[in-house]
Amino acid sequence: MRNGAEHISPSGRQLLDRRAFLGNSATALSSIALTSLLGTEGLLAGKQPVIDPSRPYAPRAPHFAPKAKNVLVIFCPGAVSQLETWDYKPELIKQDGKPLAGGPAVTFQGPSGNLAKPQYEFRPRGQTGKMVSEMIPNLAELTDDIAFIHSLTSKSNTHGPAENFLSTGFVQDGFPSMGGWVSYALGSENQNLPAFVSIPDPRGIPQSSVNNWGPGFLPAEFQGTPFSASKPLLHLDPPAGITTDQNQAARSLLQRMNARHLEKHPGDGKLAARIASYELAARMQLSVPEIGDLNSEPAHVLKSYGADNASNPIKAGFAKNCILARRLIESGVRFVQLFNGAYASGGTLNWDGHKDLKKQYDVHAEILDQPATALIKDLRDRGLLEETLVVWCTEFGRMPMFQRGAKGRDHNPDGFTCWMTGAGVKPGVSHGLTDELGRKAIHNVHPLYDFNATILHLLGLDHEKLTFYHNGIERRLTNVEGNVIGEVIG
Amino acid sequence: MRFQLTFASVLLTIGWTLGAPDGVDLAKPEDRTDHWSFKPLAQFKADWNIDAFIKEKLIANGLAMSQAADRLTWLRRVYFDLIGLPPSPEQVTAFLTDTDSGVHDRVVDQLLASPRYGERWAQHWLDVVRYADTHGFEVNTPRPNAWPYRDYVIAAFNNDTPFDQFIREQIAGDQFGKDAGTGFLVTAARLLPGQIGKDAASMRLARQDELGEIVINTSEAFLGLSVGCARCHNHKFDAISAKDYYSMQAFFAGVSYGERPIQSSESEALHKQKEELKSRVREIDRAVAGLVPLARSGVERPPVKASINVERFAPVKARKIRFTIQKTNLYEPCIDELEVFDSNGNNIALSSLNVTRSASGSKEEPNRHQLDFINDGKFGNTHSWMCNEKTGWVMLEFPIEHTIERVVWARDRDGKFKDRLALEYVIEVADDSGKWQAVADSKDRRSLIDIVNGVVEPGPGRTGNNVFENAFDGDVGTMTFTTNGGTVTAPQRSLLALEEGAIHSLSHIRINDIEGNDNNGRMKQITVRVTTDSDKDLTARAYSDVTNLSVKMFSGDANPLPNVVINGNTIEHLDTEHDGFYSIVFDPVPGATGIELEWANERQHKHWTIREIEACTSAPEVQKNQVGVIAQDPKQQSKSKSLMQEKSNIEAQLREFSKSRSVFGGIFGKPDPVHILNRGDAEQPEEEVTPTVLSALGDLSLAKDAPESERRVALAKWIADEKNPLTARVAVNRIWQGHFGIGIVETANDFGKIGAAPSHPRLLDWLAAEFIRSGWSVKHLHRLIVLSDTYRQSEQIVTHASAKDAEVRLLWRFPSRRLEAEGIRDAMLAVSGRLNLKTGGPGFDLFFSRGGLSGFPPILKFQGDGLRRMIYAHKIRMEPDSVFGAFDCPDAGQSVSRRRQSTTPIQALNLFNSQFTIDESEAMAKRVREDAGAQVPAQVARTYWLAYGRDPHPNEMADAESVVHRQGLETLCRAIFNSNEFLFIP
Repeated sequence: MRNGAEHISPSGRQLLDRRAFLGNSATALSSIALTSLLGTEGLLAGKQPVIDPSRPYAPRAPHFAPKAKNVLVIFCPGAVSQLETWDYKPELIKQDGKPLAGGPAVTFQGPSGNLAKPQYEFRPRGQTGKMVSEMIPNLAELTDDIAFIHSLTSKSNTHGPAENFLSTGFVQDGFPSMGGWVSYALGSENQNLPAFVSIPDPRGIPQSSVNNWGPGFLPAEFQGTPFSASKPLLHLDPPAGITTDQNQAARSLLQRMNARHLEKHPGDGKLAARIASYELAARMQLSVPEIGDLNSEPAHVLKSYGADNASNPIKAGFAKNCILARRLIESGVRFVQLFNGAYASGGTLNWDGHKDLKKQYDVHAEILDQPATALIKDLRDRGLLEETLVVWCTEFGRMPMFQRGAKGRDHNPDGFTCWMTGAGVKPGVSHGLTDELGRKAIHNVHPLYDFNATILHLLGLDHEKLTFYHNGIERRLTNVEGNVIGEVIG
Repeated sequence: MRFQLTFASVLLTIGWTLGAPDGVDLAKPEDRTDHWSFKPLAQFKADWNIDAFIKEKLIANGLAMSQAADRLTWLRRVYFDLIGLPPSPEQVTAFLTDTDSGVHDRVVDQLLASPRYGERWAQHWLDVVRYADTHGFEVNTPRPNAWPYRDYVIAAFNNDTPFDQFIREQIAGDQFGKDAGTGFLVTAARLLPGQIGKDAASMRLARQDELGEIVINTSEAFLGLSVGCARCHNHKFDAISAKDYYSMQAFFAGVSYGERPIQSSESEALHKQKEELKSRVREIDRAVAGLVPLARSGVERPPVKASINVERFAPVKARKIRFTIQKTNLYEPCIDELEVFDSNGNNIALSSLNVTRSASGSKEEPNRHQLDFINDGKFGNTHSWMCNEKTGWVMLEFPIEHTIERVVWARDRDGKFKDRLALEYVIEVADDSGKWQAVADSKDRRSLIDIVNGVVEPGPGRTGNNVFENAFDGDVGTMTFTTNGGTVTAPQRSLLALEEGAIHSLSHIRINDIEGNDNNGRMKQITVRVTTDSDKDLTARAYSDVTNLSVKMFSGDANPLPNVVINGNTIEHLDTEHDGFYSIVFDPVPGATGIELEWANERQHKHWTIREIEACTSAPEVQKNQVGVIAQDPKQQSKSKSLMQEKSNIEAQLREFSKSRSVFGGIFGKPDPVHILNRGDAEQPEEEVTPTVLSALGDLSLAKDAPESERRVALAKWIADEKNPLTARVAVNRIWQGHFGIGIVETANDFGKIGAAPSHPRLLDWLAAEFIRSGWSVKHLHRLIVLSDTYRQSEQIVTHASAKDAEVRLLWRFPSRRLEAEGIRDAMLAVSGRLNLKTGGPGFDLFFSRGGLSGFPPILKFQGDGLRRMIYAHKIRMEPDSVFGAFDCPDAGQSVSRRRQSTTPIQALNLFNSQFTIDESEAMAKRVREDAGAQVPAQVARTYWLAYGRDPHPNEMADAESVVHRQGLETLCRAIFNSNEFLFIP
């Protein structure tokens, strides 16, 4: 399914060829198109990706040989507790119910209560014997393939800014998302689909919403396109009432009008690029519904993901999104962002377990565990993990104490866990440490900058070189920070 | 004030940095102030003009200007450019047929005088300041009063407010009579208090973020310097130290974000008007009160209400007033406010008038129930007094004796609470001699039986609008409901249960506000049945015929007096109150438990509403026709109604005023001390700094304790000074960019070292000087630019020129470009004929949500306000409009100094397939058919004229005709809206 420019319709190609526009980057005309479309802002550094405006998603070479070609990010908004999942703290079990000596009296939401043991049992898994919680029994079975980073820190303890920080490297609104940076740098392997697809959870949008997949100040081509198995891309088709004939007539008339107009404005790359964009749109109209049509998936696949689970429609919905994610990766889409959890809702729609953590996590874990595990295994079985990096992340962690008067944990940006698996990742690694109670990262501490720098590195990108000029500074995904975490690279 | 070029101190403090651009030798201290934009403007002889500068560069590069564009191209260019809308066919024809040499000037003058101009050019500025109508971040709550700033910017452009003044008004508009301008200070996204951690460090960080955004906005928008980069460390490339950053922050140290009333000269006039209206409300209250029966006059008065009670009595001298409660409907009594009026209608009981208070005992709950809330002038449960026992008293003592005639009190004027209501009470006053006398009590208040439940049955077989609602309002003894009728005359029923367990002697029923909406239809008859059956199921009760009463009603509102027919027991039409009750009096029914009310309509009609029913026990002794009591004749009744109507109109007006007169702007308080923060960390304060301008540009410095407004005024004046080398250059560059799509300096927010060098430095300086010379007139610059030969050039590409200068930086042609998002939407509406030119005020909706967590479902079909220009949309931060957002519409996250021109397949899908495009295609087709008639060639020609301002060529005509014949005119319009010719500023 990896289609290239040859899929532009004959008339479109002829038009573009006649204008010496396509596939001839040495001509002055093409360079006009490039500079005018890109805006010279992006070229100031001189080392930046060169984008052919008629094929903005054409594959582009990275800075150095990559270990991974594609990325799947499983993003769990609301801040998953490291203590109930991956970061086993026997000392916390011992100190259950005791106050944390020297701990904060007030955390994000208010007064702190006493230390509380993990709400799930842990047991050793796989060859490594890593202790993982019973909350996620299926994912736990993958630990031999995973590189955990237990010592991450965030710059914000508020969900929105912290999600911004994870996805864009800045706590403020309006910076380019990681998927934006990656598709800007590398384009995509599939010219009939967007380079960057963002799949919202069936329960709703994540807390900082568009920030997680927005283009910021990168060219708009590189924003994530949000759609899911249940929510198709808006405007893929005209509204009901427009007949196929009308549609076709409008499209071909438009093509002739634009062709005549271009004849009168020879050499204008902007006009040609708009014509090309309608060609790409027409191809997307065919390929997006095809990719989202899960009817072709056999019953055993649906079952393995839990997509056939009629008693838990949210789980089934997330499972379908997982299958969609696999199909996108399979089709060569460069960056797929899959959300598990929605917006702030007292922890009912996402992982923000303030009040009654165990009760809420029972629900969320059931939705996440089987489908996400099936997705990773399916990618592995199809050989896709050899070139696909899978990232599991959340914006920060949670406190070892319960909140006063509650059975849940408050926000903790000082030490939490995310992990990677798949292409380029060293399997079975647990890197970095939090203290014995899981309150703060104490060894090999990594701000999220390092995590993001590592993802770029695996894709063959130097996070210090991938820049875009904006308002007085060459901006990066990692601001002026970031060190690649070599220990998790295979 | 001094603008210096170099400083030894800068050399020392800035020489060391974290990094340097390629080729910069870090070992050598570099004079970073030696930078073109920091130097004074170059001076020129009088005979220079724009074209001379452009030609100078072109010649030097072996290039030449292109020939002039054809007249239509220039006209469309200048329309889109100045007002963001295409010229109408008539405007095109008028221009093309006008051979007068001054016609270009006249068109430009007309466009600059149009209100549409400000709507177009304000958008450029709003991009820079990242304006939005929501707060941003995860909750993205609405910011409902941000728009006065948006309207201020539009008005500033339309009025050609001198740009230096425009700067001053945005930094310190509160000091310059343009308060809404201070919206500029707080345009950024912000965390609301609930999103900030409760720990002190989180709060300090959030405050630093807020202040940081003000510094970023001010320095980038006006000075073209990224001072914000120096928050954590000295600027990497420019002569801006962390100390500079915090010293600039100190000018804003007293500014916080929030909504507040607008202060301005216009608002003073409004304030006066508001006071006049308030005074009229007081008059009305008094006049209406005059229609309320006097207390203790022997006339039955309305029952006690939780929401408001008026006690009127003959004028009496009072030094003290005491309100004694003997019985409540539930629990200890609570009164939200006790108002005492003198003969002039003034409330003389307010604590602000040194009135003291005492009580038998008070149940205190801070910020909710306090004794001092009894006369604090604030209403509602959270500003009320509560007695500590079930009976008790509260007393006010005035500093002097007054003559009073009215007391107003309530349990909860907000209408939320109805418990703790005094049912039996007495009000007494004492004069200076200390002698007490009662002026009002509850004895002559009508005594009601609680109606505890009720249902309304709309009647069998009804069709049509069958909506009905009923509401037992919980107030004492009343039932409020509305039924909407259908087309059949089947009776409607209301079944009401009376308070259980009490021995009632129901003796009359009062029905309020019978209202119909059909003057011809009549309410034929109301039948009342009373039951003593206590079955809980209301509808299953047997309603005794013993007390079957009926009243025939022959009209609705038009004639409030029904023709009463007595049927059965004694039925009397009494209309003793100004509030328009109909009273049905009958022999008492002891132990009544429910009432059935049935009414039938004479013919088919729309609906009847019965607003209120009261169940009353035996009426007090009523002295009919008592002298001296306000007789409730129809005349007075209608007077009362018209007064109440006037009052409600005024109150609506006052509400409107208070809405429109708030702005989300700077809130100014006492400045906090400002320290340099190590690495920008609020937990690591270092040396304290004073408000001081950037050291590379001047030496203006204020004292540590300088008052808040003085700080901003000083900074505003320093920025807007003609000697500031950056301000005018940055401003004219933005205007140039607005016309040509790219500035002389292409990095419009960054005139620092890493910013681009100017393509025409001499032109930039000349424009800046000319700008200052003209009194900072933006419209003067527009005229100079759009009437130049440079601007009038053809947009056609010339191969050899393009080989040398593909980006057209030297302007060997006019750089044509795609319309921005707003321009596309506005132009489509203009051409379809549906554009709504309403100006100003709250934004229209692009989504079904104006802010919040749970996402923004897009509105797909628009009408009315939804067809206004897009600058008037309620702008959701970070959420792109579902159709036009994809056209590089800024998200209001970070400042957009120049819009990119991306081309994406999503744009194509949106513009080709959206409901908006389909709807406007249909509207345009309809318009064309109306304009051009039924002949297809005429329709095609009109379509081309509306969209492109020209006739179709023969081959275009043939192509379009054939499509219209087969697929309809709408299909042609849809293609046109997507066409490059329509979407490009030529």
